[in-house]
Amino acid sequence: MPALEVQNLKYYYRTRRGPVKAVDDVSFSVEPGETIAIVGESGCGKTSTANAILRLLPRNVEEYEGHVRLSGEDVMEYSTEEFREKVRWRGISMVFQGAMNALSPTTRCGLQIAEPLMVHLGSDREEAVAAAAEGLKNVGLSEDVLRRFPHELSGGMKQRVVIAMALVMKPNVVILDEPTSALDVMTQANIINLLKNLQRDAHLAYVFITHDLGLASELADDVAIMYAGKIVEIGRASRVYPGPQHPYTQKLIHSVPLLRGESAPDFIPGAPPDLTDPPLGCRFHPRCPLSFGMCGWSAEDLQSFLELRYRAASEGDRLGAAKFDQKESWRLVVTPGKDVSPQALVAKIQALIQAESSKSPVLRAIEKVRVGSNKVEIVLYEATIPELLGEDGQRAACWLLTEEGRKRAAS
Amino acid sequence: MKSGLFGFAILASLVFVAVIVPFYAPYDVVRNWSSYGPWQDNPRYAAPEWSEVFTGKHLPRTMIFENDTFRRAIVREYIPPPKGPLNITLINMTKTFYYDFDDFPSELSLAITAVFPAQSPAVQITLSRPDGQFVPLLTYSVRNEFRNRSQVITQNVAYSEVMESKIRAWIARENNGVSPDKLTNATILPEVALFAKNDSAQLDGHQAHLLKGFYQLIVEYTGFTLVDDVGVRFIVEGTVYGLAGTDDHRRDLLTGLLWGAPIALAFGVAAGGVVVLIQTLLGALGGWYGGPIDEFIQRASDFYLVIPTLPILILVSLFYRPGIVALLFYLVAFGIVGSTTKVVRSIVLQIKEEQFIEAAQSYGASRGRILFKYIIPRIMPYTFALVALSVPAFIFVEASLSFLGLGDPVLPTWGAIIGEAYTQGALFYGWWWWIVFPSAGIIYTTIGFALLGYAFDKVLNPRLREE
Repeated sequence: MPALEVQNLKYYYRTRRGPVKAVDDVSFSVEPGETIAIVGESGCGKTSTANAILRLLPRNVEEYEGHVRLSGEDVMEYSTEEFREKVRWRGISMVFQGAMNALSPTTRCGLQIAEPLMVHLGSDREEAVAAAAEGLKNVGLSEDVLRRFPHELSGGMKQRVVIAMALVMKPNVVILDEPTSALDVMTQANIINLLKNLQRDAHLAYVFITHDLGLASELADDVAIMYAGKIVEIGRASRVYPGPQHPYTQKLIHSVPLLRGESAPDFIPGAPPDLTDPPLGCRFHPRCPLSFGMCGWSAEDLQSFLELRYRAASEGDRLGAAKFDQKESWRLVVTPGKDVSPQALVAKIQALIQAESSKSPVLRAIEKVRVGSNKVEIVLYEATIPELLGEDGQRAACWLLTEEGRKRAAS
Repeated sequence: MKSGLFGFAILASLVFVAVIVPFYAPYDVVRNWSSYGPWQDNPRYAAPEWSEVFTGKHLPRTMIFENDTFRRAIVREYIPPPKGPLNITLINMTKTFYYDFDDFPSELSLAITAVFPAQSPAVQITLSRPDGQFVPLLTYSVRNEFRNRSQVITQNVAYSEVMESKIRAWIARENNGVSPDKLTNATILPEVALFAKNDSAQLDGHQAHLLKGFYQLIVEYTGFTLVDDVGVRFIVEGTVYGLAGTDDHRRDLLTGLLWGAPIALAFGVAAGGVVVLIQTLLGALGGWYGGPIDEFIQRASDFYLVIPTLPILILVSLFYRPGIVALLFYLVAFGIVGSTTKVVRSIVLQIKEEQFIEAAQSYGASRGRILFKYIIPRIMPYTFALVALSVPAFIFVEASLSFLGLGDPVLPTWGAIIGEAYTQGALFYGWWWWIVFPSAGIIYTTIGFALLGYAFDKVLNPRLREE
């Protein structure tokens, strides 16, 4: 039975501009003694996933649903108080991003590590501090750290204190939210080794959240690649690393600089999408080099492309379109200008598709062009979100993995 | 940092004064600050003793001659018939003193206490001067005005009309330099006339020439029983007194000034501490819990901020004349929420988003626990700075009310002393000590707290930190 199973987790923030789909239908599971690494760019929803699992919700939650099963028990059913008592730190604990900030600056480290014990078990101070001393020993710190304040410790020591704090209640699952991102490389390696040892000793399940693929490969048994609030590829690390299937994973792996590589590291053009209004279909398609008609181009994309062409073209070569009208996301109605007939406009559009569809994937999304009495209707392939496909060891959400997609991409 | 040390030194000196002042003047003395009794022997409007360094003269100190310092001769005799039968007691008391100051005394006080079971005794008082003259000051019989058979009567006989006419008569007899017109019309100042040379300026307070040397006060008492007794207390008031002078009530201002320190400190720190603490707690509560609680606290503090506290306090004081403790209570009541609530709330809103708060939430600490164990300790340093900076404001409020005569009716506070000086026209008459010292006390204390507050500010506000 998996130590932690997350199923269809949704977690949207409410903002004035509409919901931010930070975590959208995320599912994964992790077995006891194993590690799943959740990898992705900044802002892709990694930390939100962690917060959603621990139910650390801000005020502005638009939607929060799905299942989080802890050793088979669905903790999403728990009331707030029940969740606080049974899940937080007893079932799942968390090592926070940037240990420097995760410690209260006005409390001595000993008391801070002991705090969960005092909160949950009602242990008295001495007892709790004794347990804290034990915890410090486990993470390789001497006992005199008990009496120190956080600012008296180095970054690595602070991180160890935070780890000791996470383990003091002996949970089954530990979420590591970028546990080493603020540390130098040597300390990073030390901490990773420490985490490995602790996992072996206590048979812990880790959810390791990082943006660093290399670091993830050190620790991970499974790896889940997140992009714009969705998992785009998930599988055994031993299979995902050598054979990434999703174009995003491929790009991501190639963007890791090699110390002495021949080739320069690759990069992904563009920026992560706005999560209040994510792209239709596959969320990666606007930045995807392999994207084609099915990936999720919308009438809006097409309109802005055509307008761009119109402005760029010379006087004789212009489309002659007067007005664009988006009926649906998959239908664009173009009204020709005064002295242009609809037929002429269609011919121009056809010519454009002929000439440029190899360069511009948005043109490949055009299913057909219909001529009306005085307007032209362009119908696009309907955008659908790709499912995670593939067998159990490695699944990716890309249309290219389907039979139909491969055919379309080829045509 | 230097300014902080300076402020700390000022506060330390004030605390030191507060600690030692009960040894200089116990609280009993201060409780009677507003009554006349304890201060009667002091001169009025006396400058500090050390102010004579400005004039270069040896200014007169107060000389108090108690009854037991007089030389006493007693004769008690029964005179049988035919002359009698008559009981008679003759008491002769003399006191010799050397007057060596460079100025006239400011006042004379002569109290005669007569003990007589039956008939009114007769008293004759004479002053012998260094120039050999004897001035008969008074011949009178002690009367029991209330006819209630009380047998001990104390009367202050200086400045009686009888004495004045006796002095006029003496000057007319001995001094030809004074014009008859002046002799009949000029006001007689006994402390000047009796200590001046017999020349034309004798009756003129500003020009009279001082006669230094041995003076002797002679009191002759004739009583008509064998148990009659008399007590004399003679005071020659000086023009200087103590380290800080005296006021119109003859009070030793040093006592009031020194007691002003603990009162101002206690009042300022108590008011500042309590007000800032309450405001901090409420601000933190609002900032942390948010929602309607926050809204309520913030609107309440907006409301409190526009209440004109001082005018309302003046009104309250006019009707109820509160003591210093009641005043403290009013100030706290008017400062339950206010600017500190707003400052603290904004700090808490900042701290709230920090990760250690999220961490605490994640391991299940309750909201109250996070507020008191994580947030309050973080804002405590700011609170200390705010207390230090708010103390002067409260000292000023107390001083303002006292200045207006609406402060504590019993205790001497710096504001009250300045207020009395102002109403008595101290600035007009040049009684500078009455104004300068209490003002200096207020300024000194305020500067101390301000420097301390700024030092805190520098420590707490990284942008102000010195290199």
